[in-house]
Parts: sequence; C-alpha cells; structure tokens
Amino acid sequence: MSTATTPTLDKEPAGGAQGPAPDPDRRSADTAQDGLAARLAANPKWLVIGFAALVVLVSAVVTGDGAWPGGWTADIRTPLEDLDNWLVDNRDSHWLFLYFLLHISNAAESGVDAIVSLFDSLGWVGVTVIGTLIAWAAGGADRSRRAVRTGVTALAVFAVCGILEMWAPTMETLALMVVAVIIAALLGLLLGLASGLSDRFEKLLRPVFDTMQVMPAFAYLLPLLLIFGVGIPSALIATVIYAAPPMARLTSLGLRGADPVALEAARSLGASPWQRLYTAKLPLARKQMMLGLNQTIMMCLSMVVLASLIGGGGLGDEIYQALGKLDIGTALTAGVAVVLVAVLLDRTTSAAGERLDASQTATEPAGMAKVRAAVWGGIVVLLAVFAAVGSAVWESEWPESWTVSWGQPVNDAVNWFTDHLGSGIPVVGGTVTWAEGFTEFILNPLRSGLLATPWWALLLLVAVVGWFVGTWRAALAGCVGLALIGAMGLWDRSMDTLSQVLGALVLTVIVGLIIGIVSARVERAERMLRPVLDTMQTMPQFVYLIPVIALVGLGRTAGIIAAVIYAAPAVIRITTQALRGVDPAAMEASKSLGATGKQQLFQVQLPLARKALLVGVNQGVVLVLSMVVIAGLIGGGALGYDVVQGLSKGNLAQGLPSGIAIVCLGIMLDRISQPAVRSRKGS
Amino acid sequence: MSESAEHTPVISVRNLWKVFGPKAENVPENSALKGLSAAEVRESTGCTAAVRDVSFDVNKGEVFVVMGLSGSGKSTLVRCLTRLIEPTAGTLEFDGDDVRGMDTESLRTLRRHRASMVFQNFGLLPHRTVLDNVAYGLEIQGVGKAERRERAGEMVDKVGLEGLGHRRPAQLSGGQQQRVGLARALAVDPEVLLFDEPFSALDPLIRRDMQEEVVRLHNEEGRTMVFITHDLSEALRLGDRIALMRDGEIVQLGSPEEIVANPADDYVRDFVRDVPREQVISVRRAMRPADAGEAEDGVALTPDTLVSDAIEAVARSGKPARVMKDGKLLGVIDHDRLLSVVARLGEDDATGAAADEGKVAAV
Repeated sequence: MSTATTPTLDKEPAGGAQGPAPDPDRRSADTAQDGLAARLAANPKWLVIGFAALVVLVSAVVTGDGAWPGGWTADIRTPLEDLDNWLVDNRDSHWLFLYFLLHISNAAESGVDAIVSLFDSLGWVGVTVIGTLIAWAAGGADRSRRAVRTGVTALAVFAVCGILEMWAPTMETLALMVVAVIIAALLGLLLGLASGLSDRFEKLLRPVFDTMQVMPAFAYLLPLLLIFGVGIPSALIATVIYAAPPMARLTSLGLRGADPVALEAARSLGASPWQRLYTAKLPLARKQMMLGLNQTIMMCLSMVVLASLIGGGGLGDEIYQALGKLDIGTALTAGVAVVLVAVLLDRTTSAAGERLDASQTATEPAGMAKVRAAVWGGIVVLLAVFAAVGSAVWESEWPESWTVSWGQPVNDAVNWFTDHLGSGIPVVGGTVTWAEGFTEFILNPLRSGLLATPWWALLLLVAVVGWFVGTWRAALAGCVGLALIGAMGLWDRSMDTLSQVLGALVLTVIVGLIIGIVSARVERAERMLRPVLDTMQTMPQFVYLIPVIALVGLGRTAGIIAAVIYAAPAVIRITTQALRGVDPAAMEASKSLGATGKQQLFQVQLPLARKALLVGVNQGVVLVLSMVVIAGLIGGGALGYDVVQGLSKGNLAQGLPSGIAIVCLGIMLDRISQPAVRSRKGS
Repeated sequence: MSESAEHTPVISVRNLWKVFGPKAENVPENSALKGLSAAEVRESTGCTAAVRDVSFDVNKGEVFVVMGLSGSGKSTLVRCLTRLIEPTAGTLEFDGDDVRGMDTESLRTLRRHRASMVFQNFGLLPHRTVLDNVAYGLEIQGVGKAERRERAGEMVDKVGLEGLGHRRPAQLSGGQQQRVGLARALAVDPEVLLFDEPFSALDPLIRRDMQEEVVRLHNEEGRTMVFITHDLSEALRLGDRIALMRDGEIVQLGSPEEIVANPADDYVRDFVRDVPREQVISVRRAMRPADAGEAEDGVALTPDTLVSDAIEAVARSGKPARVMKDGKLLGVIDHDRLLSVVARLGEDDATGAAADEGKVAAV
C-alpha cells in the first residue's frame, strides 16, 4: 500500500501539465503508431519522470524507511531558546528596544486604544449610524440602488453583530482593523508609488512580494512574537506587513499599466512629471488602486482574526477560545460575526470601486461631486458630535435586552447532529464515519508511504518534477527547501504535514476542476456560483474551521476538508476563466467541424487552457498549505500543531523551526507546481 | 515647388537621425553604413535606424504629409519634432529656434504653446469629461478653470461636438473621440498641428468625414499641419506636399501630382500604381502645343484643372480644350492626351515631354 503514495506526488503536477494532452492526440491519430509508448519515446522528459517515479517506488519498497540521517541534523532548539531567553531578559533594557522597537510598539498600542475609546464614546448608536453613513457615501451617496444597498448592508451587519452578543469583540476587531488598514494602505501606496515610478525599486520589490504571496499568514506572526511579545503591537504589525503588498502591487501595476497614449498625449502637451503623475497616471490607476485597497482590507481582516493567537483579541479570540473549549455554538456565533464584517468591508469597498467605474461610462448630474463632498463633511461633523455626546445619551455597547443567545441551541443542534448523523446510519455510515475512513484508508497510507520513501529518492523526485514543470531553478529551490527541513530534524513531522497537504490538494483539484468545468460550460451554474465564490474568497481562514468541526469532529480529516473548502473557490474560478478564455475562433472552428461538447472540452478547451490550469493548481497548493497548518488548531497535528502551540504559548523553540519547515514545504510545493511561463517567455 | 520658396519654413529639419540600440550615436557618423538597407545596418551594428538622414522644411500654412508603410519611421519622425523621442543626430529648427539645444523648460513651452499633437489612439483621459479633456492642455499651462472651460467649450463646438461636453470619452464613438483629441490639440492654439495617423483606427466613412473636417479647419484657419499617414489616398487628398518614407529615409518629396506623375523609383511607382491618375494629374502635364487654328476655339481651362474635370469639359464640347493662363494660350488638351493619362501610356516620356512643352509654351 505504501507504494500507492508516491505516484500521487509525481502525477499531480505532471498530470496537470500533460494529462489532457495525450488523450486527444491519441484519439485523432489512432491510425498511426500506438500513442503512449511512442510519446514516451519521443519526449525524453516523460522518460525521466517515469524513471524517477520508479526509483521512488523501488527504494520505498526495498528500504521501507525514509528517515533523514541523524548525523545530518543541526540542533537549533538550544540557540533559539537562548535567544528567546535573552529577548525576555532584555526587552525592557536593551537600547534597540528602548530607542526603536518600544516606540513602535507603544505607538501601535495607543493608536488602537484611541480607536477603541472613540468607539466607546460614540456608543452603539453612533457607531451604527456613522458606519451606515460611510457605507452609503462610499456607494455613491445618492438614491441609486448601489448606494442604498451598501448602506442597508452596513446597518444589518451592525445590528446582527449586536443581536448575537458579539458587539464588544466586533468593536475590538474593527478598531484593530481601522488602524491596520490605514497604515497598511498608506505603506502599500508609498511602496506602490515607488515601484510604479522607479524601475530599480520595482526590481527590488517584486521578488520580495512574490515570496510574501506564497507565505502562509501565520509565518508573519512568529518573528513579531519574538520581537514584541504577545499583544496588540505584534498583531497590528503582522497585519500591516501581511496586508500591505496587494495595495503596493496593484498601485504599481496601475501606474505601469496606464494607457501609454494618454501619457504621451500629456507629455506632448508639455506636462511636467508632477503634472503627469497627478492629472494622468494616478487617475488612470484609480481602478487598480481601489482593487488593491479592497484586497488589503480583506487580508487585514483575515490576519486580524488569525492574530488572536498572539493576543490580537476581538472576534478571532472568541473563536480561538471557543474552539479550545469545543464550544461550537460560541465559535459559530463569532464566525458569523466575522463573515458579516467581511461582507460589510468587501461590499463597501467594491461599491466604491464600482462607482468609480460607472462614473466613466455614465453622465452624472453636475452637482453630484459637491453633494458627495458635503456628505463626507457631514459624516466628519457627525462623528465629532457623537464622540462628544454619544456616550452620555446612550450606552456604549449594544443593549443587552436586545440580544438573542443562540450559542446553546447551536450546541444542542450540533450534538444531535453528531449523535444521529455522525455515525451509525445503516449502509451510508455518517459524516464522522466517512472522516475516519478517509483518515484510515487514504491519509494513513499516504503518510506511511512518504515516511517509507528514502529521503534521497524524494529529493530526486522533487528535482525531476521541478525541472519538468518549471526550470532547473525551481528544482533547486525545491530540493534546498526539503533538505533544510531534514537538517532541522523535522523530516518525519513534515512528511505528516505533506501527506495532509497532498491529500487536500488532490481533493481540491478534483473538486475545483469538476465544478470549474461545469461552470465554464453552463452559463446558469456560473451565474449562481459567482456570488458564492466571491463571498468565500473574502472569508478569513479561521471561519472555515467551525462548520467542519460541527460536521466531522476534530482530526486531520476536518483540517483537510476545511482546506478543500478554502482553496477550491480559487481553483474553480481559475478553471472557469481558463476554459472561457480559450480562443473563441478555435472553439468555433471545432464546432464547425462538428465536434461534440465532449470533444470540444477534451480536444480544444483543456489542452489550450493547460497553462492557466496549472496556475490554478499552483494557487491551490499555496492556499491548501496555509489552511492545513491552521488545522493544527483542530487536531491536524504535525507542523501546524507545533506552530499553533509555539504561538499561543510563546514557545519560540517549538514554533519557529516548524514555521520555517512549513515555509520550506510551501516554497518547494509552489516552485515545483509553478509553470515556467514567466521564465520561458523572459529568456 | 517654386511657390514654396516664397514661404518661410516653420519647421526646418536637416540630416535628422534616430537610431535605437547600443552605441546608437556612432551610427549616423559611420559613412560605411551609407547605402546599406535597414536590415543590413541592424546586422552590422545591432542598431535600428528608424529615421535616417532626413531633411525637409515645413512651410507656414501648408499641410505637410509624411507617408509610409508601418515600420518606415514616420511616427518616430513626428515624435522627434517635439523631442517626444530624442533624435540621435541632425539639426531641428522651429521658427529658427534650435529645438535640440532647448532645455527642459523651453522645450515644455514649445510643447505647451507652439506644437500640439493628435494621436492615432486618441490618448484621452477616461475619467474626465469631454470638456475637461479638451481643457487639459490649458490646465497644464496653468490657465484658470473658468477661462479654460470657456475656451474648451468653443473648441468642442468648433469640432462639431455641441452638447456632448459633459459626456465621458467611453460614451462617444471612435470618430467623436478623435474629434475630442482634435479639439484638445486646437484648444492651446498651437502654431503647428502634428497628426500621428489620426484616422487609421476609424471606419472608412468616418475617416472621410474627419478628413473633410481637417480640410475645413485648414481652409478656415490656415494652420500649419504635419500629417502622418499610411494611407495614400489620405495623403493625396490632404497634402500640399508629401514626403514618402521607406526604411527611415525619404524616398521622394513633392506635390501629390509630382509623386503620382513622376515616381522617383520603382518603390514609389509600385506605391502609386493604383491611384486614379486623372484625379491627381493636372492638364498642365497632359497638354500638347497648340496647332494652328486651335488657338481661337474650344473651352478654356486653367493649367491646374484636373484631368478628370478636363475629360468632362472635352466630352461635353466634343472638341479639344484650350489651357489658358492670364489670357495666354499654354497648350491644348484633346481626347488622345486625356486618354493616355487615364491609360498611363508612355508614363515617363509623356510627363517629361509635357514638362518640356510646358516650358516652350511658357516662353
């Protein structure tokens, strides 16, 4: 059984790359020589891949033990513990902290405190009114459907958060969000301007951003925990670092992508560089920058929730505590509040973006710009008034008599569900039974297979796949990552995590491809799916854990299901776009030749969309990995557990090596699944 | 050509080069490269000579057309005139001012006030209204809001976009968008208008409209124009003089009639092969000396009359027509001569002979 594991590893990326191709070729050329053998002989890469897979199989069966040689590991725990101790001892006395880092941490703390006390003095009415007004103004500040819908959404979100008894944590989360978003957006804007205007800066920043995109969110928490300790500053700074890149990236993209003819026209009219930036480049980049702001805000939320692990507080903390106590009801309630906040923020920023779009294609009444300025001015005035008198007139928190407690009913429902549907249903089994089956028959064999494979065989396979899918650089990066894991003495635990990632990845790709194909071919399915996917893609990772536990209980399978749910939307979306993006002329040509729908799919769409589909797989890898780690919270074990423990207990020696190992795994998986589009085109 | 000598050149270009590539500045001086084709130059130096040793004058009030196929360097050339692309070598004068020697500030003044450009893909700012797009050049100059709006409003009306001032570019058709581009260029009241293939992206019918618009503006204001195009019929319709470019060099420079009647080489001949000659060539070139007795009889035509118009006159009267200037008989045009123009019989001899005969007659 152990042998069944390795082919999955090799077939995954390779299958994604070449899978669809042989099919049509063989079918169309069935009069010629026997397809597969001929293709293998014709393409030496296939031979090499096959050889590597064979080596892996044989060596796994023969040796049956894949442990990294003990002599080749380095002890990193002791120095890390020393460092940790030193930091604890010196955090209040060393000059680096006294004159630099403490200032940052104090500023962060007082910034968030200021917003919290502002919310306090606004009172619940003030917050709700101002929030609703801001959303309405962002939507256009008029009676259009967009503006009204955005405002009503905001009102509903505040009300529901209050009714669900989540007012206080929601305010905490929002306060942290406000500060984090402002700093992240400003930082992103500055970096974006720099890299949008200077080629040298762009060259410097691009690889940094590229790497940051692959890193799982919690990887940012560890180093900050190290420097600032548990608390708001760590959470805030981690959030800013995590969330600033999209703003910077999209600002730079917008500046660089601005219509060159318009810029040349500005130049030909004698515009100075400043005039060009103000009157042409920035306005032309507005749409991209708005998109960047939206992404930055959503990433801030995701991180703020996750940062509860290191003392961020707020809604994330509610979920984290409740998960620890297995209090699904409370976790779910807080989860709903997070979802609502996410919806609120997303709708508001995308409404603002839509309005910018619409203003370019529709004629507005002349006075509208003035009305809008007046509305924003009014909001500021109202804010000041409420801040001054609000807490005197009404309570600062949502009135308790207006709340509904549904934690207990939910818990009862979950219990009933676990008792009646979880297991013991004749023939079908039940969700918990399925989960156990999945662990026993798929995950365990996968893990033991990986563990049985000798480390050198795995390195060989990674190298070959990396070279096959991408470039020799990808192969090298993958091997170095894997070797680093071995050297840190985390080989076995990493193989455990890897088995979970691979299991989740295969499921994600299967689910994503099938749903993606359906929604690419059936217009109605796509229309129905789109809002669902939109919402799912903006949700913080934490939220996905909750329903999964309710359904299948704790364990590795729960983590995997959460990962699949989390990663599938991106794969579905990329698949749909890839299939729809296929040259319509090619589709029409095949149709005019009388191809059936199936023939079109397998002979035209899939082969032509191959590159884009690989990008989808790559996205899936990154997302799955980051989720599998968070699943350490709900019994995923292995590296994720170490990291979560290390974070929550402030135990650096336990958390950091595992965190690095996860990043190594991530880079390895990312590189060997990244189609070499860029590098091949570049050279 | 003798007429243009009376005019003062607005733009004067001498031995202008634009070379892209490593060590581009060495290419113009390298006399060994002379006579090589563009591909050969690229082979031996690794550089692309987009504009090679080009000289011409643009006279006040004329429409100067630069024509060539894509890749011939014409768009690069027009961008060199205001240094949107920095020339590699040569001299460039604007009203006697040395453009290549200008510092950033005076160059900006040149672009703001003296030459403005209309682009093939319009280059409008999508977030601004039509009015604010037209006012953009004035805004850059620092003109106050009320004044620039007013002047922009006049321009919007002038190019035929009355009532569309508050639309956004995306709400206009391609032809209307280019009218906005034209109005934007006109709004700063420049000495010279530069057109870079302005109508290539438009439908043929709209293109025709826009060409007429340009002719109308030129007739009304007499503004100097430099017009880049790849469309021969556009060049013939608009140009007072045409410079035909190939591989970065000007292969022929002359009036439309000269280029059609007297192609400088096989390339130009190939180019003008399908031109309806009777619509370009005038009777001055087609006439023959008058025989005795013809001097008194027949319709009188001026020497600038196009052959196509002469055909109509001759066909109506059934007799040869007289070519008259200031009451003097220059020659006679009959069925045979007209037909030989249309049928392009004895192209070079006929025109050559005609020119000789013209001289004889003039004496």
